Amino acid sequence: MAAIELDGVTKRFGDVTAVEELDLTVPEGEVFGFLGPNGAGKSTTINVLLDFVRPTAGRVEVLGMDPQRESVAVRKRTGVLPEGFSTYDRLTGREHVEFAIESKGADADPDAVLERVGLAGDGDRKAGGYSKGMAQRLALGMALVGDPDLLILDEPSSGLDPAGAKEMRDIVREEAERGATVFFSSHVLGQVEAVCDSVGILRDGKLVARDSIEGLREAVGTGATLEITAEGVTDDDLGAVRALDGVDAASTDGATVTVQCDSEAKTAVIGALEDAGVAVEDFSTRESSLEDLFLAYTEGEAPSDAATDAAGEEVDA
Amino acid sequence: MSWEAVARKDFQDAVRSRWLWVLSALSILVFAGAAVGRLYVGGGNQQEAAALLRGFLFYLKQGTAIVIPLTALVVTYAAITRERESGTIKLLLSLPHSRDDVVLGKFLGRSAVVTLPVLIGFVVALLALLPAASGLDIFVYVQFALLTALLGVVFVGIGVGVSAAANTNQQALVGAGGLFAIFWFLWNFFVTGVNRAATDLFGLSTPDQFRLRLALKILNPIQAYKTLVDSLFMSDLEARIRMFSMLFGMIPNQQAAQALGPELSPAFGDAVVLAAMLLWLALPLAVGIVWFREAEL
Repeated sequence: MAAIELDGVTKRFGDVTAVEELDLTVPEGEVFGFLGPNGAGKSTTINVLLDFVRPTAGRVEVLGMDPQRESVAVRKRTGVLPEGFSTYDRLTGREHVEFAIESKGADADPDAVLERVGLAGDGDRKAGGYSKGMAQRLALGMALVGDPDLLILDEPSSGLDPAGAKEMRDIVREEAERGATVFFSSHVLGQVEAVCDSVGILRDGKLVARDSIEGLREAVGTGATLEITAEGVTDDDLGAVRALDGVDAASTDGATVTVQCDSEAKTAVIGALEDAGVAVEDFSTRESSLEDLFLAYTEGEAPSDAATDAAGEEVDA
Repeated sequence: MSWEAVARKDFQDAVRSRWLWVLSALSILVFAGAAVGRLYVGGGNQQEAAALLRGFLFYLKQGTAIVIPLTALVVTYAAITRERESGTIKLLLSLPHSRDDVVLGKFLGRSAVVTLPVLIGFVVALLALLPAASGLDIFVYVQFALLTALLGVVFVGIGVGVSAAANTNQQALVGAGGLFAIFWFLWNFFVTGVNRAATDLFGLSTPDQFRLRLALKILNPIQAYKTLVDSLFMSDLEARIRMFSMLFGMIPNQQAAQALGPELSPAFGDAVVLAAMLLWLALPLAVGIVWFREAEL
């Protein structure tokens, strides 16, 4: 059974479309990284899963239940680290954890929870005096209470220093080993790469890639990043490039064109640009990293249909 | 139960705000004043002291009728909107609480915050009163305390209901302030207006006009509270007639006495007035619960 299933989910706020026709399945037991730049619609998607907002269209299932009609039942089995939350300033850290334990009807030791998230010794302090990172740890601790079947973590590393981000990843791994499904969002690939079984990349409310980390690495392994220096290139000139076989994505800042493609496609790319009337001054290639691929998906103009199709095939495979 | 956890946490949180302590001190000061008056000003004369206490409570209700609703609204209008604006609601609703339980839990937690100082004040006053008091005095005193606490709870329901229905603190403030203004300043204009229109339309007799006006006045929770307090000292009929008097009851309304007497219709009895107060407890809370179900956070 799938832990999370989104089927044609669209969410509009007035005339702004935050999420459009999103299809996404996260199998049980998987650690899924939900990637995308800020404002791509990651938090809106998560808010739909938690029934904080209601989808304009589409079907949603979390742990086999409708999050709108069976909201409490869903949240009984889900641990959540929400985005844009704040703590109760006048309550101590321990009181927060105790409230989570009482709310979930769990049997846990608040001090053990605090220790696990690195807040041992801070439990008696009021949460109003916590730093952003400490508040983040506290909310993670509250999410972990009751050994949930599903963990939904929205930008869990924000506010954490590198050491804290590593502890966060360790906890995600421990939870996954216990058998929990972990769904977490980030705008930084590095935090996802090390722990995720698979990722989805969201951009402008649409899923532009859905693949396992290995699948992505393979795609990158055969690929290259082509950097072409050419004056006055507009995005319109790139249409022909994107239409080429073997090209994943192409973007430009006006002075350079960056293309993710198979190594064999290089000549065709240059040719296509020249055919479009672009004067190519210089070019260089290097082997693509995962980061390049991620940036290609999330920065610059929208990726080509070819890239989306390729990602789609990976999902089916 | 889920609302219990929410209520307990809310109270735990609110208890650490200075509000509760200021309110407690204030209410002890005010209510114990009655007892002190009873003991020291009244001297040894039982009769005179009892009259003094009753007189004190009688006028005290003018104060509680404005202070209790006002503090209840101040303590509650942002109960839910502030959580939405700060983002604590996301932490709260990440846990398995239904939205209904959040509203009910808030209502219970804030009810404790508002009624506790009132009851503490009364208990302190009662302790001071005990040595010299007659049973009747204490009974009247306890009823006055409970009615005052109920008035607080009713306005907690109104405030929490408004806060649940509103999207922002500002909306909630306007809503709560508006309702207070309606109950306190505008209600009698509304009563007069409806009465005039009904009289023009249906040619109501004078007694019918008074009955209509009385029914509308009872629908105001503050006026309902006042007339229920009056009922502690006089008959239902006298208490209802007083609702038409001027200058805090110093100038009685003879017409009202003639129209409503000599026997008060059970439709205007204390039980019905109490029911009207409870209606104001249930209605805004129900509206708030339904609206909050639809809210996007």
